[in-house]
Amino acid sequence: MGIEPGRIQFSWVSSAESTKFVQVVKEVTETVKALGPNTHFVKHEAKVA
Amino acid sequence: MSEWEPKIVSFLCNWCSYGAADLAGVSRMEYPPNIRVVRIPCTGRMDPKFFLAALREGADGVWVSG
Amino acid sequence: MITFKLNGQTVQGEEGQYILQVAEKYGVDIPTLCHHKALEPAGMCRLCTVELFDGRRSRFVTACNYPIWEGMEVQTDSEMVHQGRKLIVEMLLARCPEVPLLQKMAEDYGIGEPRFKKEEDTCILCGLCTRVCERMGANAISLTGRGVDMRVDTPYGVNSDDCLACGACASVCPTGHIDLDRVNRQHTRIQAQLIPSEYDVGLKGRKAVYVPYAQAVPNTPAIDRDVCMHFKTGGCKICTAFCGVDAIDHSMEDEIIELDVGSVVLSPGFEPFDPSKFDSYGYAKHPNVITSMEMERILSASGPTAGHLVRPSDHAEPKKIAWFQCVGSRDLNRCDNAYCSSVCCMYAIKEAVIAKEHAGDDLDCTIFYMDMRTHGKDFERFYDNAREKVGVRFIRSRVHTIDPAPDGDSLSVRYITEDGHTETETFDMIVLSIGLQISPETVQLAEKLGIELTPGNFGKTGSFEPVATSREGIFLCGAFQGPKDIPQSVVDSSAAASAAGEILSAARNTATKTPEEIPETNVVGEPPRIGVFVCRCGINIAGVVDVPAVAEYAKTLPYVVYASDNLYSCSQDTQEAMANIIRQKKLNRVVVAACTPKTHEPLFQETLVNAGLNKYLFEMANIRNQDSWVHKSDPERATEKAKDLVRMAVSKVALTEPLQEAELAIKPVAMVVGGGISGLTAARSLSRQGYETHVIEKEGQLGGQARSLYRTATGEDVQSKLAALVEEIQDDEKIQVHLNTRLAAVDGFVGNFKATLVCGDAEEELEHGVVILATGAEPLKPEEYAYGTDPRIVTSLELDRRLMDDDPLLKKAETAVFIQCVGSREPQRPYCSRVCCTHSIDNALELKRRNPDMTVYILYRDIRTYGEREYLYKQAREAGVIFIRYSVDNKPVVAVGKEKISVTVTDHILGRPVEIEADLLSLASAIVPPGDEALAQFFKVPLNDDGFFVEKHAKLGPSEFATDGVFLCGLAHYPKPVDEAVAQGRAAASRAVTLLARETIHTSGTVARTNPMDCASCGVCVAICPYSAPFFTTEGPFAGKAEINPVLCKGCGLCVASCRSGAISLKGFDNDQIFAQLFALNEETVV
Repeated sequence: MGIEPGRIQFSWVSSAESTKFVQVVKEVTETVKALGPNTHFVKHEAKVA
Repeated sequence: MSEWEPKIVSFLCNWCSYGAADLAGVSRMEYPPNIRVVRIPCTGRMDPKFFLAALREGADGVWVSG
Repeated sequence: MITFKLNGQTVQGEEGQYILQVAEKYGVDIPTLCHHKALEPAGMCRLCTVELFDGRRSRFVTACNYPIWEGMEVQTDSEMVHQGRKLIVEMLLARCPEVPLLQKMAEDYGIGEPRFKKEEDTCILCGLCTRVCERMGANAISLTGRGVDMRVDTPYGVNSDDCLACGACASVCPTGHIDLDRVNRQHTRIQAQLIPSEYDVGLKGRKAVYVPYAQAVPNTPAIDRDVCMHFKTGGCKICTAFCGVDAIDHSMEDEIIELDVGSVVLSPGFEPFDPSKFDSYGYAKHPNVITSMEMERILSASGPTAGHLVRPSDHAEPKKIAWFQCVGSRDLNRCDNAYCSSVCCMYAIKEAVIAKEHAGDDLDCTIFYMDMRTHGKDFERFYDNAREKVGVRFIRSRVHTIDPAPDGDSLSVRYITEDGHTETETFDMIVLSIGLQISPETVQLAEKLGIELTPGNFGKTGSFEPVATSREGIFLCGAFQGPKDIPQSVVDSSAAASAAGEILSAARNTATKTPEEIPETNVVGEPPRIGVFVCRCGINIAGVVDVPAVAEYAKTLPYVVYASDNLYSCSQDTQEAMANIIRQKKLNRVVVAACTPKTHEPLFQETLVNAGLNKYLFEMANIRNQDSWVHKSDPERATEKAKDLVRMAVSKVALTEPLQEAELAIKPVAMVVGGGISGLTAARSLSRQGYETHVIEKEGQLGGQARSLYRTATGEDVQSKLAALVEEIQDDEKIQVHLNTRLAAVDGFVGNFKATLVCGDAEEELEHGVVILATGAEPLKPEEYAYGTDPRIVTSLELDRRLMDDDPLLKKAETAVFIQCVGSREPQRPYCSRVCCTHSIDNALELKRRNPDMTVYILYRDIRTYGEREYLYKQAREAGVIFIRYSVDNKPVVAVGKEKISVTVTDHILGRPVEIEADLLSLASAIVPPGDEALAQFFKVPLNDDGFFVEKHAKLGPSEFATDGVFLCGLAHYPKPVDEAVAQGRAAASRAVTLLARETIHTSGTVARTNPMDCASCGVCVAICPYSAPFFTTEGPFAGKAEINPVLCKGCGLCVASCRSGAISLKGFDNDQIFAQLFALNEETVV
C-alpha cells in the first residue's frame, strides 16, 4: 500500500516492564525518524518542516 | 526550525503497555517526546482503519503495543 | 504588595521578600551557589549580584538577601552584571580548579585558564554547610579562621560529639567538598552512613522523609522518626518549607486505638534468614556474597542498579554466578531451622533464568542444592526448561566454605561431586538462597495472644482447620502458618477470611454506610460544554510543563467553556471546588489533564457524580506519568505534547455520552461440583455464611479420595475427621446433597446459572448464582514395576487401606520398598504430584512403628518434604529408613519371585546396582486429573496440558476462574495434601461469598453493543470473544442476530474490530471517539 515497513510497528510490553517500554519508544522513534515525514495517505499536502 | 521531529501515534493497551508507560514515569525514566498516546481497552480493539486515519491526519508513524 | 521592575517587566512581590524570590516566581534565572530555599540567605558567593537602579544611580546588590522595595528597577543580566559574575567564577575556579561544577560554569562564561594563581581547594566558603548545621540544631561546624585561613571546621578541629552525623552538610555542599567520608574523618565521632533503604535491602540509601517504594499504598511519604533530625534536636523542619500544601505535622503522636472485633486474622509474615552468622560463607566479609533478597533487587528494573546485573564490589558484570540452597533451612547444625523453607528452590531457578535473560547466554549460572523441590503447579516444567533449554547448571552438593579468590573480588568454592570427587571452582558472585523464618516479634505476639506454635515457631494449626489457631476466633494465614509461596499464601488468606466471616456472618452489612445519591443531570441533546482542569501536581507537572499556557490553550479549543489550573487536583478542597465549577458553569463534559487515569480516573469520576454528571462524561489527559516525568529535560516539547494530549482528550470527550451500568440480581444459591474433602469444606463454609448450597457428587458416597487416606502428615486420623465433616454436611439444612448425579448442561452466566442435573433417569434444573468446581483427581494405575501382577505390589493409597485394615502382612514383612515418582515427573506427565514423598515417608515410619525390625527402603529422585514435613524425613532417616536415589533414565527394575519381590536399583553413591529382596512394594503413583472437557465447556473455563484447570491468575487468583462466578478448589487445581485442599475449599467459598454478599452486580458502562439492523449473523464475534459475551438471539424480531451480554462483556473491543458489518460499537472507546482523537492529532486539523 506504499507504507514503508517500520512506519507501523507492533510490540508487546507487560505493565511491569517500564525499561522495555522506554527502549521500544526509543527504537520506534529512531526508526520513524530515519524514514522521514510520512507522505502516504496524508489528508493535506505534507507540510515539510 | 530545528531538526525535524516525527509525530508517532501510539495505541497502548490499558492493561499492559499503558501501565508500563505509567511506571516509566514513576521511575522517572526519560524518552523522546514524540509519541501521542491513545489509550485502548485492549489491542483487540485495533482496527486497520485507525492506522489509515492516523497517517491521514499527519502521523509519521503508528505504534501498537499490547 | 510591592511593585517594581525586573528586567523592564513590572513585577510584584510581598513585603519582606528578597529579589531572588520574586525573580524565581517570574521564572527569571539568577545564578547562585550559596542559596537554599529553607535557609536564611547570607550573600556569601556574590554570584547572584544584580544591578539595582534606585532612580538616581546604579549599584550592585546580592539578589538573595536584598529586600524588595516599591519602584526599584533591577537588571539581572546586564553586561556589567555578567562581567562581575564572570570574574567571581574565574576567582572561584582558581581556588578550586578541580570542582566539576565550577569547571562547567567557567565553560559557560567562556573562561579558559584562570588568570589567578591556582590553589588546590575544593571549598568555596559558601557557608551552606554551617547554616544547615545550625538549622539542624547541631551547631557542630562553623567557618573558622580568618582571611585566607578561613575554613569549615569543628571547634579546635577535633571530631565532635555535637556532630550527629546527619549528613545535611554533605547533602547541601555544592562542590562536593564535604562528603560522608569527610564527616567521618573530621567532624563526627559517630559513624555517618546512608540510611539503608528497607525496600532495596540496604543496597541503596534513602532519605529520612521517604516513600517506602514506588508502588506503595498509600503513596505518601513518611518521616522516619528514628533518623529525622527534628526529633533529635528540635531543629531542621526544612521539609515544611518545601511542602506546597502544608501537609507535614511534626507534632503528631502515636495513638493507641481500641477496636471491638469478632475475629482476628494474623498475617505477620516471615523474616528472611540472616546468613551473617555463618562464618564459613563470609556473607559479612565478602561483598560479592549476597542474599537471594539482594539478588531480587539487583535483577529488578526498579532496583538499585535499574536491573543491570553487576556485582557489588566493583560493579563489574559477573560471568559466573552460583546459588547455594538451604541457607538457614534444613539445618540444625549451624542454625535452628530444621524445616524446609519451601520456596527457595523455585526462586533460585527463577533468579538464574532471569539473570541469564539480563546478561545473555554467556553467563554461567550454577545452583548447588540437596534436593530440588519444585513441587508447585507448573514448577517442574520451569525446572526442566531451566536445565535443558536455558542451560542453568544444577549440582547436587552442599558447599561448606567460601574463600576469597586471589583477585580479591571473586570467590572460590570447594565442593564434593555426586561421585565423590572434590572440585574447586571460582565464581564472580555467590547468592545465598536464604530461608524463611518467624521473627522474634511474631513469637512474642503469639505468646501475648496465647496461641500455640510449632517447633519451627509457626502458628500451630490442624490439617482440617488449616487457618485456625489454637485459640478460638483467631485465625492466621501466609508464611506464619508455614513457609509457603504466593499462591498458597493467597489461598490461605481467602481461607482465613472465610473462617473469620463464618462467625461474623450475622453481622454482615451492619457497619456499612451508604453514600447519598445525587440525581444525575440529563445532558442528552445539549451541545457539549467542556471544562478542562489542568493539574500542576505541585512541581511534578508544573516544574516541566508550562501549565498556565496549557490551560490558556485549552480555552481556545472547540466547546471548551472553562479551563483553569489546579495546584493539586486530587486534594479534597480542589475536588469540592471542581464540583462547584461544574455546577456553576453548567459543564456537561470534563477533561482533567493530570497524573494518569490508571490511578485517578475513579476519583475524578466520583467528582463528576457529586456534581450530578454521569461518570462517563469524562476523559483524562496523561500529562504527568507520560509527559512531565519522562521529558523533564525538554520542557518546550513536553508542553507541546501536553497541549496535543489535551486537544485529543477534548475532542474525544465531546463525543462521550452518559452510559448506564445495568444492575443484576445474584441468585443467592451456590453449586459445588464434587463431594470430596475440598468441595465439602467449601459447601460447609458457604452454608455457615448463610447461603443455600448444592453439592453434586457423581458417586454414591461423599468424601472423594480422602476415603482412602489413613493419616495426615501430622498424624491425624483422616477417617474420623472425614466422617464428622460428611455428617455435618448431611445434617445441614442449607446444604442439599445430590449423589449419583452428573451435570448434563449449564446455561447462563454469573449470578444466574442454570444447570441440568441428571440422576439416573431423573432430570432436575438447578438455578444458582455461583459455582465451585471441586472435581478432584484420581490415583494413576501404574503400568510399570509389575503392578497388578502380585498382591504384594500396591499403590500408596492401597497401602493406606491395608494400614487401616491392619493387614497382618504388614507385620510379617521383613523388607518393604517404596518407589517414588511413579508416573510423575516424566515426559508424559511433567509435573510433581506434591504429596507422595511425605506420604511414603509417613507410611515408612508407620511400618517401622508396627514392626521395628523391618528393613525399609525408599527409592526416590528428590525428596520433597517441604515446610515442616521435613521433620518426617529426618525422623525416617533416624529410624533407619534407607533412602536410595535413582535417576529417571535408570529406573529401578522389579522382578516378581515366589518368595520375594526383587527390586534392583543403581545406587548413586556406589554407582553399582543393588538388589533388594522385598516382601512389600509400595508405588507412589501420580495424581491424575480427569480433564473433564465437557465440564470445562459448560463453564467456559480452560484446562492445561496435564488436565488440571487453569485458574484466573497463577499467583493472585488461585481459587477462581477468569470466568466470573466460577471458582476452583482441591485436586482439580493441582495435587495437594489434605490441609491445602481444605484451605482451598474455604478459599473458593470465600471468593464466592464476595460475589454473593453483594446481592447485585453492576455491569461496566464501557461494554460492546450490537446494532441488529447491521448484523449479518456471521458469528465471528460469538467465536472470537474470550468471555463468551456475544450470542445469537433466539426470540423476537431480531432472532438469529448477534447480541452481547453486558454482564459478561469486559469491554476489550475484540468483537468491534472483528465485525465485518460494523454492527458492533464499544461505548467509551467507540470508533468515532478514537477517530476524534486522531483527527485532533495536529492543531491545524481541529474542526
